[in-house]
Amino acid sequence: MRILQAFLIMAVLLAAPVHSVLAQDAKRSLIIQVDGLSCPFCAYGLEKNLNKVDGIDSVHMDMKSGKATVLLKPDAHVDDQVLRKAVEKAGFTAREIKRH
Amino acid sequence: MLLRLRQVVLAIALLMPGGYVVAGPISFNSALPVSEGVGILRSQIKLVRKTDDPSGQNRDLTVMAVPLVLVYGVSSKLALFGVLPYVDKRMDVTMGTKRIRRQTQGLGDGKFFARYTVYQQDRPGDTLRVAPFAGLKIPTGVHDKRDTFGLLPRSLQSGSGSWDSFAGIAITRQTLDWEFDTAASYRINTQASGFEFGDEARLDASFQYRVLPLSLGDVGVPAFVYVVLESNALWNGKDKLAGTTDINSGGLTWNLVPGLQYVTRRYVLETAVQIPTVQQLNGSALQTDWLWTAGLRWNF
Repeated sequence: MRILQAFLIMAVLLAAPVHSVLAQDAKRSLIIQVDGLSCPFCAYGLEKNLNKVDGIDSVHMDMKSGKATVLLKPDAHVDDQVLRKAVEKAGFTAREIKRH
Repeated sequence: MLLRLRQVVLAIALLMPGGYVVAGPISFNSALPVSEGVGILRSQIKLVRKTDDPSGQNRDLTVMAVPLVLVYGVSSKLALFGVLPYVDKRMDVTMGTKRIRRQTQGLGDGKFFARYTVYQQDRPGDTLRVAPFAGLKIPTGVHDKRDTFGLLPRSLQSGSGSWDSFAGIAITRQTLDWEFDTAASYRINTQASGFEFGDEARLDASFQYRVLPLSLGDVGVPAFVYVVLESNALWNGKDKLAGTTDINSGGLTWNLVPGLQYVTRRYVLETAVQIPTVQQLNGSALQTDWLWTAGLRWNF
């Protein structure tokens, strides 16, 4: 019985930081719905311009949905206006920005 | 002989246009965006053959051109283009009882131009753009090269010697499944050392259809394979030598251009064959057999 208790306590202790990290990641990510992106070769310019923005850690594009998933650096805050400007510089239109 | 080489003029005109930007068409300009701060390097190899000579001189012309194109996005709407080609022109011709070769190699005439997007309508996975462009052809090539038979005809020189301006407009509609482009342009050729090539007008269209992947997945940026069909309508005015019009120069050409493109985030590989479908050339013209193009574009 004690072994089972110890195992459960360890499992909870180990899972908590992982859950916390995942939750933090979710808080740190946002999704930009980009209009006008319809070719893989154009996606590079969008990624490059978004990656130049201070506070952005990484960008992941989905061609089919036109969604750019942006992961922010810890404790970073990036205004919607800044994100929209970066998308515009790439030659596209940011329709909607969703934050978690 | 000089005035009878109009087919060479047209061959060079056919070689020099080039599609310079983003993914888009292979043989002409599109209106697709070049992102701010992004550069595109493009290189192509173009080969043209003309062998059907009705003049009895049995002229046989081969032209190879390797244009190097650098594109830079100054802003999302303004892109600058620089083009510098290497050319190799060879013409075998019968003179009397002898078969001779006249040839030249070296830098051809460069081009510098700007394109500005004046209309843009974006929807999910879909864009429509209109972008006029204008620029100059710069005489970086040689126009006074000689061989053992004397001064090469101007049309066999690697350059024209003249500064020529051109302008046009490109329209592009691109979706995730297909793309349509059309462009119209006009180039005013000027005189250099007593010779003036005829002006050039172009009307181009291109349809590209994505064949791979058959359907797009929910994640990532997959590579696309497009089948391409393009149309080039080209009009060349008559050349002038010392103020005299060369009646054996200029004319109309219409090419159909089937091709294939492999497009990824960072590079594009492409190939196409320009097949002259209609050639209404002035005088006794040498008809073009074919023109083959292969190219690479790289994003940086």
